[in-house]
Amino acid sequence: MQLPARPQVYLLVWVGLLALLALTILAAYARLGAYGTALHFTIAATQAALVMLFSMHLASAHPLMRAIALIGFIGIAILVLLTLLDVLTR
Amino acid sequence: MAEGVLAIQPQFDDARQQRAASNLGIWIFLATEVLFFGVLFAAYAITRIRFPVAFAQGGQLTDIALAGTNTAVLLTSSLSMALAVHAASRGSKRTLVLLLWTTVLLGCAFLAIKGVEYREDYLEHLVPTLGFAHPGPGESQVELFFYLYFLITGVHALHVLIGIACIATIAVMASRGRFSPSYFTPVDVTGLYWHLVDVIWLFVFPALYLVSRS
Repeated sequence: MQLPARPQVYLLVWVGLLALLALTILAAYARLGAYGTALHFTIAATQAALVMLFSMHLASAHPLMRAIALIGFIGIAILVLLTLLDVLTR
Repeated sequence: MAEGVLAIQPQFDDARQQRAASNLGIWIFLATEVLFFGVLFAAYAITRIRFPVAFAQGGQLTDIALAGTNTAVLLTSSLSMALAVHAASRGSKRTLVLLLWTTVLLGCAFLAIKGVEYREDYLEHLVPTLGFAHPGPGESQVELFFYLYFLITGVHALHVLIGIACIATIAVMASRGRFSPSYFTPVDVTGLYWHLVDVIWLFVFPALYLVSRS
């Protein structure tokens, strides 16, 4: 049985992940204020997407797998959002 | 069971269906893992919003050099794991075994660096309940940051440890010729778990180490 991704893809993903790591560390030292936090988590989400799409083969997986992979993240997004709605409006 | 040959369990029609069922199972488990860590991140978000100054102070006391190195180590271990799964699908036994042990080694390196970091934290009196001291007005709030820091990194390190044990087991099975291009589901599934532990760290790193550096 063949896997969807070729070894070169994993190497490219690895290079991309390390580049994003360097970027996020550099951004930590730039004076970005609240934008810094948003940038860090955007970079983290991009890195996570790269790992999940290619190393974990979600890009070529059955839609059902993709849906289940997203359920955890959506659940957490709802939990954090509703909790913050309470905390921020007290 | 013959070596490296797939035995199809009676409840499945064919190998493809059996493999899909395993993949579905691990993805459901991984979704629960995301929920498990997600709760810790929810606690983090609430605490950080309430005590932004203490979190900035606490974040500056963490070791960005060690944590940055650890992130690179974990990303590299994810690469060797992905290549291991690929080697398994091609039936290259020697490459598979070599890549699996490489992944184990990188996982151990991650834990070793983490250990050095924890030791530094202890010597700097940053461990809550073990002589925590941060002279200044917001001491208990900075301590709260370090409670979350040790809880999140500790639970993550436990996952790394479990991952290492699983990959080492798979490596021994691989060297005994238990996998073949038609059957390597255990390698695949263990790889998915390892990648997820990596994905979680990608969020832990900015949350705890990059709070306020400028």
